Amino acid sequence: MQQMQQIPDVIKLIPLNFYVLFSSALFCIGIVGVLTRRNAIIIFMSVELMLNAVNLLLAAFSSYRADPSGQIFVFFIMAVAAAEVAVGLAIIVMIYRNIQTIDVGILNKLKW
Amino acid sequence: MQFWYFLTALTLLSALMVVLSKNPIHSVLYLVFTFFCISGHYVLLNAQFLMAVNIIVYAGAIMVLFLFVIMMLDLRRNMPDSKSNLTKLAGAILGGTLLVILVAVMRKTQFPQFSQMGGKFDTQTGMVENLGQVLFRDYLLPFELVSILFFVAMVGAVMLGKREAGERNF
Amino acid sequence: MNSIIALSLFGIANLFLGFLNNRKILLPATLAFVLVALGLNLADWNQEYLWFNNMLRTNNLSVNFASVILVATFLVVAVSRGFGDDEEHTHPAEYYAIMLFSVVGAIMMVTFENLIMLFVGLEILSVSMYILTGTDKRNLRSNEAALKYFLMGAFATGILLFGIALIYGATGSFNIHGIEALVLTAAGGSAPALLYIGIVMVIIGLLFKVSAAPFHFWTPDVYEGAPAIFTAFMSTVVKTAGFAALFRLLGGAFTGVYGTWIYILYFLTMLTLIIGNITAVYQQSFKRMLAYSSISHAGYLMLTATAKVAHTQSSILFYSLAYSVATISAFAVLMVVAETKESNAEKTNENFDIFNGLAKNNPLLAFVLTVSMLSLAGIPLTAGFWGKFFIFSDAFQRGIVVPLVVAVLMSAVGIYYYFKAIISAYFKEGDVPAIELKPIYKITLIVTTLLTIVLGIAPDLVKSIF
Repeated sequence: MQQMQQIPDVIKLIPLNFYVLFSSALFCIGIVGVLTRRNAIIIFMSVELMLNAVNLLLAAFSSYRADPSGQIFVFFIMAVAAAEVAVGLAIIVMIYRNIQTIDVGILNKLKW
Repeated sequence: MQFWYFLTALTLLSALMVVLSKNPIHSVLYLVFTFFCISGHYVLLNAQFLMAVNIIVYAGAIMVLFLFVIMMLDLRRNMPDSKSNLTKLAGAILGGTLLVILVAVMRKTQFPQFSQMGGKFDTQTGMVENLGQVLFRDYLLPFELVSILFFVAMVGAVMLGKREAGERNF
Repeated sequence: MNSIIALSLFGIANLFLGFLNNRKILLPATLAFVLVALGLNLADWNQEYLWFNNMLRTNNLSVNFASVILVATFLVVAVSRGFGDDEEHTHPAEYYAIMLFSVVGAIMMVTFENLIMLFVGLEILSVSMYILTGTDKRNLRSNEAALKYFLMGAFATGILLFGIALIYGATGSFNIHGIEALVLTAAGGSAPALLYIGIVMVIIGLLFKVSAAPFHFWTPDVYEGAPAIFTAFMSTVVKTAGFAALFRLLGGAFTGVYGTWIYILYFLTMLTLIIGNITAVYQQSFKRMLAYSSISHAGYLMLTATAKVAHTQSSILFYSLAYSVATISAFAVLMVVAETKESNAEKTNENFDIFNGLAKNNPLLAFVLTVSMLSLAGIPLTAGFWGKFFIFSDAFQRGIVVPLVVAVLMSAVGIYYYFKAIISAYFKEGDVPAIELKPIYKITLIVTTLLTIVLGIAPDLVKSIF
């Protein structure tokens, strides 16, 4: 508890800029994953990575500004991500039942 | 402060492994590890509640769901990625360009240092008590309406996940 | 605000009605629910309220947008025919419930005052749409459309959220009036790049949802793969809600830095118009043509949504109404004709040629199709003409010449592909048996056609309200 009363070293020493760059890098890794992979589940995991980059960025802004609403937004993003995962995995399971694969490239009944 | 750099490098490395690894199960495990690293960052930011929720919801619930689906679909006998190398290269270049643009632009931005913030820092920002009061006072309406989203997701997941009799068609 | 609460409860009520094992009751019940919600929505007319600590704002603008959304929902539900009699493979109670819930999300996107509300509303709408797209579970096209829509939608959400996070970093607020007030300070402050990138990313995320080029690539596939009734819902309700959100952000929160986004948006408007119209010309499938036509209509709407002057809102509203009514009647005709062909043991393909010879045995359907095509093409004496007229005259007054010229040229191209449907209905040889229409279906078709013509003769009836 004593620890929580102190201002963390990170906020004193690490400029906010570093967090912005860090989340940008994480976000771009997610984007590269979405664009280069064909397995639907891995694409989906890359989207989760993007959302986590956003969460980290919001938490950093929120802590540096001492404004709780940023952390509340993170909370909402997590809730929405959970709902999205449930639906997305249901869609993936439904497709797998029909064609026994989840490779996006094989699904080409509709041309790109 | 070395610890911050170490954690950041670890996060980025495991995030890269999520995208690069061939086996989906390895991807999931790397993703879980990434989430733990991000939770570590939340602790450093004094956002303890988010740290707990991140581990419980993301690493606990969501990733277990992923693992469960991968096991259920038996994706171990992994098929080779069907995407051509050209599209992969194009995707990687696009993402890399975006990163370069973001870094180039944001490197220049100057945020006020901690010493200039004038002591308005509040250590209790990320604590459960504080967050709960804000959530149930200011953000009550979106909190209630998220339940609609869960309702939709629940109905939809049951409806789509149920096995359906009958012929497939195109 | 009350309509949001009512619709949430009605959606749950609808799920319970599904237990009754009586499919007949669902359609009238849902229609009544939507009407009650419309009434509650209109009760907020001429009152300006902020609800729940600045989460929602209801004013005449939001009431108007919500009314257009609810009218479109009503028409879609009316032509859904209770999803047929196939008890095993359709679940009307769930479909109607999800539609009502998704309207909650759409109304949130219209009335939001805080970016959290925008995000939650957008997600409710999108998640419902992913589910409805995949409801034809045994059809691989529908499956694939659902997966594609889901992955693209989640990706777009990620981009939108990153933009919101950067805007929060630059301004320190999620409230759109707070952002509007702080946007100039932030632009002149220490971190302007954060704000600019954030704004561009939020705009990209929303353009994904309204399917503007170059973020439109999912649209034709999803619109073609989804069951026709949900395509009609998607191309009207989602588009109206998306443009309402875009308009409120561009005209409100981001006005201060007009210069940063306006030229990007002009460029994207022209790109959307050109890609949508030119590609639509080459389509064989009527449903796919309607998908490209919805892209091109997004282009016309963007032309107005970029204006920061307040009076353009009536143009957007009028255009959305005219477009929704015409699109729904076109899809309604497509649905019955495709279904008749299918039950005649022909492989249904939803191409233009299923309309061949439609006028011979089904003069009403052919007439409805003609009026809706004329309205979408923007021929005088239809609502679509006035929609285009208002948008073009707005653009002319603002003096944006190049996008305007492109828009006028492209609407001329549009006439070609809309007339293809009319020509095959009236002048091509073919055999469509006389189709027996249920009374409610017939009434809805007549109402949409009359609405299109009446608005085409006297646009001020509605335009003066908006």
